[in-house]
Amino acid sequence: MITEKQQTTLSKRISDLREKVLRAKPSVCTERAKFYTQIYQANEDKPVIVKRALALEKTLKKMTIFIDEGELIVGNQSSQHRAAPIFPEYAVEWLSREMDNLDKRPGDAFFITEDHKKELLKIAGWWKGKVLWDRGRANMSQELRDLQDAAIIKATGNLTSGDGHIAVDYPRVLSAGLEGYLQEIRYYHRQVKRYEREGVKKDHFYTALTISVKALRAFILRYHDLALSMSKHEINPQRKTELLTIAQNCEIIAEKPPQNFYQALQLTYFIHLSLQIESNGHSVSLGRMDQYLFPYYQHDLITGNITKDFAAELLENTWIKLLTINKIRPWSHTRFSAGGPLYQNVTIGGQTSDGKDAVNDLSFLILDTVGRMRLTQPNLSVRFHKNINNDFMMACMQVIEKGFGMPSFNNDEVVIPGLLRLGVEPQDAYDYSAIGCIEIAVPGKWGYRCTGMSFLNLMRVFLASLYDGLDRQSGKVFHKGTGHFRDFSSFEDVFRAWQHQIKYYTRKTVEIDTAVDTALEENVPDLLCSAFVDSCISRGKTIKEGGSKYDFISGLQVGIANLGNSLAAIKKLVFEDKVISKEQLLDALENDYEGEEGEKIRQLLLNFAPKYGNDDDYVDLLLRDAYREFISELEQYHTTRYNRGPIGCKYYAGTSSISANVPSGAVVPATPDGRKAFTPVAEGSSPSSGTDLQGPTAVFKSVAKLPTEKIMGGVLLNQKLSPATIRKDQDKQKLISIIRTFFEDLKGWHVQYNIVSRDTLLAAKKDPEKYRDLIVRVAGYSAFFTTLSPDTQDDIIARTEHSLTF
Amino acid sequence: MIFNIQRFSTHDGEGIRTLIFYKGCPLHCQWCSNPEGISYGYSILYNQNLCKDFGECMATEKEAIARTNKHGIRIDRKKVTHPEKLIDVCPAKALTVSGSKLGVNDLLHEVEKDTPFYSHGGGVTLSGGEPLSQGEELTSLLRELKHKNISVNIETSLHVNWSQVERCIDLTDTFLVDMKHTDKDKFTRFTRGDAALVMNNLVKLTESAARIIIRIPVIPGFNHSEKEMKQIIDFIHSLNRIHTIHFLPYHTFGVEKYKMLGMKYIFGPEKPVRDDELTTYIHYAQSKGFQTKIGG
Repeated sequence: MITEKQQTTLSKRISDLREKVLRAKPSVCTERAKFYTQIYQANEDKPVIVKRALALEKTLKKMTIFIDEGELIVGNQSSQHRAAPIFPEYAVEWLSREMDNLDKRPGDAFFITEDHKKELLKIAGWWKGKVLWDRGRANMSQELRDLQDAAIIKATGNLTSGDGHIAVDYPRVLSAGLEGYLQEIRYYHRQVKRYEREGVKKDHFYTALTISVKALRAFILRYHDLALSMSKHEINPQRKTELLTIAQNCEIIAEKPPQNFYQALQLTYFIHLSLQIESNGHSVSLGRMDQYLFPYYQHDLITGNITKDFAAELLENTWIKLLTINKIRPWSHTRFSAGGPLYQNVTIGGQTSDGKDAVNDLSFLILDTVGRMRLTQPNLSVRFHKNINNDFMMACMQVIEKGFGMPSFNNDEVVIPGLLRLGVEPQDAYDYSAIGCIEIAVPGKWGYRCTGMSFLNLMRVFLASLYDGLDRQSGKVFHKGTGHFRDFSSFEDVFRAWQHQIKYYTRKTVEIDTAVDTALEENVPDLLCSAFVDSCISRGKTIKEGGSKYDFISGLQVGIANLGNSLAAIKKLVFEDKVISKEQLLDALENDYEGEEGEKIRQLLLNFAPKYGNDDDYVDLLLRDAYREFISELEQYHTTRYNRGPIGCKYYAGTSSISANVPSGAVVPATPDGRKAFTPVAEGSSPSSGTDLQGPTAVFKSVAKLPTEKIMGGVLLNQKLSPATIRKDQDKQKLISIIRTFFEDLKGWHVQYNIVSRDTLLAAKKDPEKYRDLIVRVAGYSAFFTTLSPDTQDDIIARTEHSLTF
Repeated sequence: MIFNIQRFSTHDGEGIRTLIFYKGCPLHCQWCSNPEGISYGYSILYNQNLCKDFGECMATEKEAIARTNKHGIRIDRKKVTHPEKLIDVCPAKALTVSGSKLGVNDLLHEVEKDTPFYSHGGGVTLSGGEPLSQGEELTSLLRELKHKNISVNIETSLHVNWSQVERCIDLTDTFLVDMKHTDKDKFTRFTRGDAALVMNNLVKLTESAARIIIRIPVIPGFNHSEKEMKQIIDFIHSLNRIHTIHFLPYHTFGVEKYKMLGMKYIFGPEKPVRDDELTTYIHYAQSKGFQTKIGG
């Protein structure tokens, strides 16, 4: 295994490109919207699927393309770096409403010119009433619309953008080339029985697929033409050669399988890019890049066709290209994924299909280049397993030390058995990759949204169970309860009320998902994405019609830790210790813990009830049981693809809700865990902030008590790490050792690390209550950061800049 | 009595360890960063930042606790008759009572929570206070831990009777011995203890089969000079039995706790010792054949 010291600085080319893209101001590009509108207007007679193919064709053939100074990997999503295309066929109403404020958003602002505004308003006018949003809402009963308007279940993202959350079959794309796909489409198209009802649909499907794949071929050839013509005017001989190579690469991969690493990477990027021009769902992922690109890399190294440094530059250039891709979302949805991330996941490590360690030299190179770039894209995931190369784990620690949250770890030891239990074939289970953030699927064989369906706000459901079904926030009773908390005589009554409510709300999330999926299937079928997913072509179906080999999906449950902490607080303080009466608790909740009495109740709830994240069975098992109520209800339902081809077509639980904890909390009144009204709820499966006082091993133990094997949509755990915990090699080894225990012995699902920054410490100094979990670890000494004197805190803060202490 | 149990400790012995802090210490080192560990009885800590003026503590200890003119309370600790009654009285945990009477089984329960993490050389470290100054319950715990095959390190000043050390030797994997100074006067002046007791005990300990790591706290104004540090290292070297020295640079993380305990921090230096101030000591120790580490 080559583990020689990597170059640590970026080449001038890469650092210039990086700077340029980081400086690029996000803006709005209207080209795609214009082309799609023109095609839809001119082809109203045609089936949706053909309209979409023609619109994609026009866009790929007419959109502005460019090759930037120094670029080695080419392909642009829109007319400028970081300009977000508009997808009017999904939703337009928000755009007209928010257009004047796009550049004034507090986060994720987009620049837009007055001319573009006018153009978009005109476009939006035509689409009114015809878009996915309208159709999806029309598929829902009034009750379902009310549940969404009340913000208890949220599916805005699913109706304003495409599905995303998928990785296509890159290994096959690389081995077959586009010509291979066109042949296959032709083969199946010829067999269509046009005298059958299904035959008519299939005929349209193959026609549309052919148009789309040929359009992609044309798109790639446009870069050949552009590079060639630029080379003619290029004076710098080195750049001239580079442009000629780009032209040659594009000429080959437009038709044929790539012949070397450079071409394979370029084709991978083109496919990835085209999926994000076709549809605007996020979390479109690249799968196991270190596996499918490795044969090319190894071959080129052996034949002397490439140097390691040049391969690194190509990868770095690709990471920059990923950052140029941008999406604009309605503000309501933006808040759920703050920072505008696209979650373009790259997965490395893991095992081969025969259970051997899959880490190779390219895994190291991808890790190192992502570490050097320190960008928000790609989202890098490492698949851990018990035989993983320890040098590779050390290299991961070195990247984690840089403090930008990557890589995150998924655990083969729980994911693979989980997949096998679902009925996934072994060779596929061993080939899973992370999708988007932490969720998982088998690339190229799985439908959309292994997670990311509707968001369920658990704490609103919990509060409704205390109020006989009344949702105080909306004033509505969605589901009559089992009684009012003040009349409950034991904790069992509370739990029964929860069971009663959660069953209802779980069913409603599935009803909403079904309405949404039906609208997506009928109105915005994806062609390229379907082409590259097994077995859409042979079945003659889009993914949404049941084309994929596997189909499992999950929604997201938000407020996990708050649920456990609220149950434990009521059980312990109201029913067991009887230090708080039912009336006192209700009063305090209704008044948001205002006043001295309210504050006293809140402090008791915060300080004298067990909290999830401290390895305390009292609360951990309550949470597990409460969550199981959701899961057992959910497991009864099927997706819209049931009995239409794919294996599975079932739901599982998921907690990888990213930044949804903030907007979800913003619609939840005070909760019995001592949380004030409208403040954030806990993130993912992590403990509520500042409540895990026993350190990381206790957090691991608590998280592992969740039914992780059933939460295949992801058990998101973010841990804070003080810089000194990972500074020295021996510290890194200790961190590896607890990760190993978490994954191998406790069967943890996922973990990622955020290095405690200077900003966090400043915040902790100001607001100690929220940061009580920051432990200062020095030999023979024990204390929390928040109990240090202000001077000592300042000293630590000053030194944290240089990662020197604590 | 125990004043804290800290899981995932990474600087007090090998691997991932759970630290048990015993309450009570025969020494009074001026720089002590765990002042709540000095007294053998309950200690009352009060963190004014967390105080919400609920007044529950005053209701419990009327004579000893009074409201100040402004925000917060004043505690006359001598007048507190039943400190244990103050445990769990303050809803905000601004007033807390340090010290829990945990039995061997309670401690084992806590320790075993992290058993999965002790592979790769981890285990339990007993610290304090001075764990060796504890009574019979210490040896009972050690026996149980030995029985359960959990590695035990003891962090000690060795400022105890030899018999208190001797009883633990066969039950302890590694002694982390604090070697503060070899100078009798200085030792006494800064710790109220006797350097000879420590040194004699260390000599005896080296004659046993015990595994020993020496930890030298580097304290400005006390031993933070080339001359004094050389004396200490030379002494350790003369024992001809020890391989490893950890240097623990002085820090001020404990200062706030003095305030919370109503104690005065009389030690002068305000600035912590930086790692780079230890370079000459480390070189000297290494020249004598020791393996060294900063911060344990």
